[in-house]
Amino acid sequence: MSTETGPQGRTYVLGLFASGDALVAACRKVRERGFSDVDTHSPYPLHGGDEALGLKRSVVPKVALGAALTGMFGGMGMMVWMNGLSWPLNVGGRPPVSPLAYVPITFETTVLLTALSIFVGLLILMRLPQPYHAVFELEAFRSAASDGFWLSVAQAPGSDGQEAARALQSLGATQVSVVEESVA
Amino acid sequence: MSADLAAAQALEGGPLLLGKNDNTSLTKSLLAHVWARPDRGWLLSFLIALSGSGALLLAITITLARGIGTWGNNIPVAWAFDIINFVWWIGIGHAGTLISAILFLFQQQWRTAINRFAEAMTIFAVMCAALFPGLHTGRPWFAYFMFPYPSDLQMWPQFKSPLVWDVFAVSTYFTVSVLFWYVGLIPDLASLRDASQSKVQRTVYGIFSLGWRGSGRHWSNYKVAYLLLAGLSTPLVVSVHTIVSFDFAVSLLPGWHTTIFPPYFVAGAIFSGFAMVMSWLVPARHFLGLKHVVTLRHLEAMNKLILVTGMVVSYGYLMEHFIAWYSGNRYEEFLFFNTRALGPYRGIYWLMMFCNVVTPHLFWFKRMRTSIPVMFVVSILVNVGMWCERFVIIVISLHRDFLPGSWGMYAPTIVDFTLLAGTIGFFSTCFLLFLKFLPAVAVSEVKELNEELHHHPAPVTVVTAA
Repeated sequence: MSTETGPQGRTYVLGLFASGDALVAACRKVRERGFSDVDTHSPYPLHGGDEALGLKRSVVPKVALGAALTGMFGGMGMMVWMNGLSWPLNVGGRPPVSPLAYVPITFETTVLLTALSIFVGLLILMRLPQPYHAVFELEAFRSAASDGFWLSVAQAPGSDGQEAARALQSLGATQVSVVEESVA
Repeated sequence: MSADLAAAQALEGGPLLLGKNDNTSLTKSLLAHVWARPDRGWLLSFLIALSGSGALLLAITITLARGIGTWGNNIPVAWAFDIINFVWWIGIGHAGTLISAILFLFQQQWRTAINRFAEAMTIFAVMCAALFPGLHTGRPWFAYFMFPYPSDLQMWPQFKSPLVWDVFAVSTYFTVSVLFWYVGLIPDLASLRDASQSKVQRTVYGIFSLGWRGSGRHWSNYKVAYLLLAGLSTPLVVSVHTIVSFDFAVSLLPGWHTTIFPPYFVAGAIFSGFAMVMSWLVPARHFLGLKHVVTLRHLEAMNKLILVTGMVVSYGYLMEHFIAWYSGNRYEEFLFFNTRALGPYRGIYWLMMFCNVVTPHLFWFKRMRTSIPVMFVVSILVNVGMWCERFVIIVISLHRDFLPGSWGMYAPTIVDFTLLAGTIGFFSTCFLLFLKFLPAVAVSEVKELNEELHHHPAPVTVVTAA
């Protein structure tokens, strides 16, 4: 198929399965058969999908914890420094450093920084936004966002993907396609 | 079906999803209103809403050009429509976060059908709310003074003031609400992108869906992030109205200086927010063809929550009056038993009492809870009542100063009324655009719920196909 010279994209083998459960089962088996770069595509998260893909626990909570601590100490520190040290502010004779009065804003900065980090961290972990991905070379793949349960197996550039295609077929895929990543 | 199961089902109420649905039919029916050409009803409502937004722009321009002397505010009533509207709008926003975050943490499956809708409401309501404190400063172009930035005035904000807490609370609330809403939207935007018929639609929805491909590796992080955002929003929503209530409670004015304010404000916020959700949900489910997803069971559950929060608010009123008497403070006693109930603004006080204390009790009766006209009227009354509550708290407390010599009256001007009506128009404009261009229901969550109900049933929830 690809006889021209120059850089070559990876090959993706896409298989459509009848249900989420069938997809999870097939995903587990295809990984047992030695295909490593496997992904599921479904309109909603699948029961047991993480285990079938062999994913570790998400690191999002750790990102959130780090941000929460930064927001907490940063917020409190900001107010202690600004109203207590940089320009000691006497309001109604209260001490310039009044940690109790700083609690509400400390809480808000904690939440704000945590939420922003979760969002940015999530995008970085998912490597989104991503303008192009090879799976969209197949028009039928677009059903993954509505009702399709797809399994994708990525293969090294130059592979014809036939081995993986046969594997998906034998695991009950109702439709199997091979697409090639386009390299600009 | 065993007797236990039948009993459990009776307790649970009607079905969450009507009819036989699969992923294909759900995607189709829930996105149909996005692809449909806007009908006359939508266009007419949109025109009315848009003219409201225009009126808002005019009122803002007058306020900026001529100053806040165009408002009815005076001394002693230095806070009036501006702060009433601010508290009213921000309270309305709270229901969205409650539905999307707190009910998510409690795994209330019925939330799925209405959370997107309510979250959108939160965002637009907070936008309306945030307008007022800015205008209220009189010189909104100096609004950045409120944030801690290194200035050549060598001044920092006064962090012991609840008004500064408010700046942080409202801006955090808005940011987090937008993030939470957007994260929830990504899979549905992808689903819109992939069902798009034209290149323009595909490009626009494609940009906003960020290239989402439903990847299992993505879902794994996504689920955790969504849960954490819900967990964060839950204390956040409580903190926001608590801090708004501190604006009053930390002062020394009779009628404001009350320790019950934080919980009573939060309950009132949820009460009014739920009413606003109902005012929109009832017509929207009809016009967008969402009756199979937003069923009577959802509406009934919302009405039950209106009843509960209404009673919490009533308890707040009761406690305020009790403490006014029990404290033996003459000024407080005068305010609660004379100024409010018998003073020149007593009409608004009694309207508040009627709307917020009396009307929710209709929902003790199942016939009322499940009657569409009744719930619509009650939801409007509650919105009116909650606006009156803020009028009672703010204007009535202020207009009778400590010395009778400094008593005064307050009358709103046309600019005040236009600002209020204009924000309602602006809110409606945003909401109608949302209903037209985005899925009003969280499609991927409903599909997941459908899957859970049919293939991994929880012990209690049983759904019968209608």
